[in-house]
Amino acid sequence: MASISLHTSLTLPSLLHTQTPKPTFSHNLSLLSKSSQSQFHGLKLSNSSHLSIPSSASVKSSIVAKVTEGTLPPSFTLKDQNGKPVSLSKFKGKPVVVYFYPADETPGCTKQACAFRDSYEKFKKAGAEVVGISGDGSASHKAFAEKYKLPYTLLSDEGNKVRKEWGVPSDLFGALPGRQTYVLDKNGVCRLVYNNQFQPEKHIDETLKFLKSV
Amino acid sequence: MIRVSPPSPSLLSPVTSRPPLLNDLTLKSTWSHRAWLAGGCTTVLISLAKSVTGAADSHIWLEPILAGFIGYVLADLGSGVYHWGIDNYGGAETPVFGSQIEAFQGHHKWPWTITRRQFANNLHALARAVTFIVLPINLLCDDPVLLGFVGVCSGCIMFSQQFHAWAHTTKSRLPPLVVALQDGGVLVSRSQHGAHHRPPYNNNYCIVSGVWNEILDSSSFFEAMEMIIFFKFGVRPRSWTEPTSDWTQDSETTSVESK
Repeated sequence: MASISLHTSLTLPSLLHTQTPKPTFSHNLSLLSKSSQSQFHGLKLSNSSHLSIPSSASVKSSIVAKVTEGTLPPSFTLKDQNGKPVSLSKFKGKPVVVYFYPADETPGCTKQACAFRDSYEKFKKAGAEVVGISGDGSASHKAFAEKYKLPYTLLSDEGNKVRKEWGVPSDLFGALPGRQTYVLDKNGVCRLVYNNQFQPEKHIDETLKFLKSV
Repeated sequence: MIRVSPPSPSLLSPVTSRPPLLNDLTLKSTWSHRAWLAGGCTTVLISLAKSVTGAADSHIWLEPILAGFIGYVLADLGSGVYHWGIDNYGGAETPVFGSQIEAFQGHHKWPWTITRRQFANNLHALARAVTFIVLPINLLCDDPVLLGFVGVCSGCIMFSQQFHAWAHTTKSRLPPLVVALQDGGVLVSRSQHGAHHRPPYNNNYCIVSGVWNEILDSSSFFEAMEMIIFFKFGVRPRSWTEPTSDWTQDSETTSVESK
């Protein structure tokens, strides 16, 4: 059941809908095969506890992979703000919040980063780690993280490769990289997908709420 | 405070570190300003007159009036979009818009100077644009509905700088009718526009009636435009960076305002 927070003038944003993402790969046995269409004011896909884990062989062989609830996201190794390579597998064993954002030093992304920073202790208390991903380089991430004293990892997705692999939908007819957050459980399986371009702080509220409920 | 007499001011000089003096030449109307104002007013009046006579001839009244109302409403939207563009992009050296951009930057630093500008000085840039755009329409068009829209829309746009100046004027100095129109939401209110002059200077851009401000701000319309421009062209709007001294209101000189 999707929950959408409405604002008084929803007609404008809803008219500027994003492109429909490609359908999920056929190996997805999830009962919840909903496409993660992007909307500005928040579309939370259902976070049912039904898990279906596709065979790892089929995940690896998928060319068009899209991460939805119940699926195992494709792994990646990206450089962090210090230039060190970091793999997704590093976070196995605990829940991890992976949030894709448009760019460093833009108003929404700054609000979001600072909100994750301010609630970081709560995430740690829930046993989770936080990772931010954008197409900016390590130097940009380093400056951004230092300026706002961000305590978590920022990864550099050069060429937006991982963003495409995970199927993060873009906004405004492809003009804007989408703002989408995934919560992976301790086995690395996606349990929640939340999208909201223009209310970035809601990503923190929704992911914390989810982590507290499991 | 003793001020050294300044060199002859130029509208194209960069934003300086001192505010204009109350009798600064840059605030006064010139004959060129008055000529453009006359041109703008004439074209607007012709448009409205043609609309009225055309409506009478065709025995219609609702459609031209409705068109005029739509013109009033869209003028507010247009004022916001233009204001946002001028506030955030370009500079004094930008072709065509350079002097306006510089004037808006100066306005943010010393908001009160707009209340010291003489009438034609304040409106002439918009009057010039209106003359160029409305005159051909007047010559080529006879439709009373379209002319009703054009006349009201262009008139509101031309006078938006006056509405803007009124939004910066203290209540006690305003004619009661203007206060009533502001309080009634017909003209942009002092409080609504005041919100635009507070950091981060990224909202309440509309200056005719302000009716679009809430919708544009709550839908993040301008933020979306700024993000698109940033991703397509790599250009950041001014409102994203920490307000620099060129931009922030110069609080030291506001005490001169009431003189």
